[in-house]
Amino acid sequence: MLTSIKENHLTNKGQELGMMYFRVAIILFGAQLVMGLIAAIQFLAPGFLFELFDFSVARMVHINALVVWMLYAMIGATYMMLTDETGHEGVAIGLGKLGFWLLTAAVTVVVLVYIIVQVGPGTEASLWLIHEGREYIEAPRWADIGIVVVVLIFYFNVFATYMKGEKTGIMTVMVANLLALAGLYMAGMFYTDNISMDQFWWWWVIHLWVEATWEVFVGTLAAYALIKIIGAKREIVEMWLWIEVLMLFGSGILGMGHHYFWIGTPEYWWEIGALFSALEPVPLIAMFVHVLYDWGKEQGIAEGRGETASVITNGPAMAWIVTNAFGNFLGAGIWGFFHTLPQVNIYTHGTQFTAAHGHLSFFGAYATILIGMMYYGLQRAYGVQRMKLTFKSKMGIFLTTFGVMGMTIALTIAGYEQVIVERGEMGATWNAFFVAQNLPWYVQAQMWRAIMGVVTLLGFIYLAWDLLTIGKVSKEAEA
Amino acid sequence: MNELIVRPEITPDMFLPIFTISTLVLVFGVAYAATITLAKMGYFSKKWMNLGYLFWALQTYSLYLLSVWIQSEPFTSKVLMVTMLAYLFIPHLYFRLIEDSDRRYDSGNNIAEQKN
Amino acid sequence: MANKNLSVWTSIPFWRRSAAWVTGFASILLIWLTFDTLGQITMGTDDDLKNGVTKRVPAATVINYKIGYEMSTKRGHEVPTIGEKEPFFGKEWSADDAADLLHLGKLTSQTKNCMNCHTLLGNGAYYAPDLTKAWIDPAWSKTGPMMAMTGKSTKEEAIAEFLQHPSTYPTHARMMPELGITADEAKGLVAFLKHMSSIDTNGFPRNFGKEEGSTNAH
Repeated sequence: MLTSIKENHLTNKGQELGMMYFRVAIILFGAQLVMGLIAAIQFLAPGFLFELFDFSVARMVHINALVVWMLYAMIGATYMMLTDETGHEGVAIGLGKLGFWLLTAAVTVVVLVYIIVQVGPGTEASLWLIHEGREYIEAPRWADIGIVVVVLIFYFNVFATYMKGEKTGIMTVMVANLLALAGLYMAGMFYTDNISMDQFWWWWVIHLWVEATWEVFVGTLAAYALIKIIGAKREIVEMWLWIEVLMLFGSGILGMGHHYFWIGTPEYWWEIGALFSALEPVPLIAMFVHVLYDWGKEQGIAEGRGETASVITNGPAMAWIVTNAFGNFLGAGIWGFFHTLPQVNIYTHGTQFTAAHGHLSFFGAYATILIGMMYYGLQRAYGVQRMKLTFKSKMGIFLTTFGVMGMTIALTIAGYEQVIVERGEMGATWNAFFVAQNLPWYVQAQMWRAIMGVVTLLGFIYLAWDLLTIGKVSKEAEA
Repeated sequence: MNELIVRPEITPDMFLPIFTISTLVLVFGVAYAATITLAKMGYFSKKWMNLGYLFWALQTYSLYLLSVWIQSEPFTSKVLMVTMLAYLFIPHLYFRLIEDSDRRYDSGNNIAEQKN
Repeated sequence: MANKNLSVWTSIPFWRRSAAWVTGFASILLIWLTFDTLGQITMGTDDDLKNGVTKRVPAATVINYKIGYEMSTKRGHEVPTIGEKEPFFGKEWSADDAADLLHLGKLTSQTKNCMNCHTLLGNGAYYAPDLTKAWIDPAWSKTGPMMAMTGKSTKEEAIAEFLQHPSTYPTHARMMPELGITADEAKGLVAFLKHMSSIDTNGFPRNFGKEEGSTNAH
């Protein structure tokens, strides 16, 4: 991966920039796992790094690294496909590179401040310089403005290239969706004394990202990848992409209601949230069937022509995309559905159930396909015709998936205990919380979560190692 | 507890059944979709589609139980059952769409863009 | 492409248009509902409190009143109740002073990163107790353990003392760290917590404090 740009089989500058984004993304992914592990240990041994590097700090860096690495990988993936799709060289890639360095410098400073300064006094200056203390979008205000500037550069590149080049369906969805994705960030950039108002707009960013625009982004990537990796027919893929957009936005936008059950907002959100979030799994099933069907069909056609080889030109990328189809449905679909109805959610809201759902859905829906795109980028960078799974790729995909699945199951058991004892029996008080936290089942579940976290980290090491070496290995195997 | 308040309340021993049944709703739903898909794709014979319908029936029953256990309004339960009836037709519409689009876009064997 | 019976169902423009319409419709509905909700969750005024007008999010001066959490037979779940006046840190706060105190408290809750251990209104991290109704938690009632531990005579003073020196008053192996909270910031945080407990959360958390047999401890 490191030499991917020097090798330079890339056909355009946009892809070079894409690879730069991928590299930072994978580093941040590693940072996310390390921070998660620290937080997981603190659940078991509360004295660990107490008043030195507290849970709140580890957790803040954990979730921020998550959001930022995914945004990096998304920007990278977009630059990767820009010229392919539009048939036009990116209009201002030099400016894009400046944006990349600005963003990376800003992210470095922000993370260092999180880790070293940690908390500030209760003044507006702390919000501007240290962090905003709002889960997922903690970035201080100066960085918010920086992010907006860099995103504008990125969006200008995408939009202007799109306007000059060919306007494919995939690119049209991409351009429209990115505008919404970037614009929504603004909803999280103000301060209010009213905590209900605060969380109302906060969900506009978080929910409309992860349950609407990010999902559509994944659909777009999957469409592009299916064409490139297994040679699916563009018209068919694009027709399905539009259907997916219809279903994802049709259910996801009003599915927002399930976050408005208990934050001070009116009761009518119960019905709206329940109805639309119950529909949210439907597009995920459709995406799942569609990916597998296309794969089966293209393979069938190839065999019909008498070819014995697989139609897949990039084994690791396809493996991650198939994991995505499963993971999206399991993590976002099943784990989302079973605590989304208000009758159940009043007990599960704010318990380890949410953590279980969060882990599997971020991994299943987003991490998987973005890693798939990184493998695709490597294939292009090294000019490899057919990239095959190596032992390291297999270990990477198996261990990370197994680890995340294990953490999810452990957290689900912990959440179940918590719901029964803290919420169902004891009524959610301070005392009830600690009674539930000290139950043997809960503690054991947290132990398994930490163990599975280590498994995930091992998987990540294999993955990172594979990303660093697979390009060269595949190139040499083909030579 | 001094007084008994009558209202929808999930007792602690009902949580496990509720979580299990809501998982089953989706698992049976996927099993139904998967069986129909694989049968339509020709991986196994059409006879297996009946197994798919059995999954659909199990899914419908699970959803019904779920709606009873979380004490939904009778109206909501009815709406859910109508939804399940619609779900019976979705895979067929879906494959109609796949076949039609294959015929429309993939029959001419035109290798318009095979650039890689 | 010269295929005859071209069905509308396989037409890309048809699905593109449908996607645009559905997305547009859902967005407009969301925006419309947002306007309605914003109206309902805007903070009330001091006059609302004086006249007994119920707001989902009351004015900052709600800190001058007793707050409870009781079952409403009409709504089928618990709702916060605003009772008679009670002194807060030994005095009654004017509208401006109360607003300033709440401002300091909310700001501090963000800068001290409360949300990455606790949940507020159920959102945040799951390492420490939910703070939605912390103000009326039985642990801080006259008979609860925290008052004796901190040696203070009122709930607000006890909470403020705890916030300034949390690891001096450990309740469990998992402790709250010292965050350098000043006396003023602690006062603000208590006001923020009291204000949050008066927000109508549609009955979340359910059965709060049921175990102790009292949900409106003060």
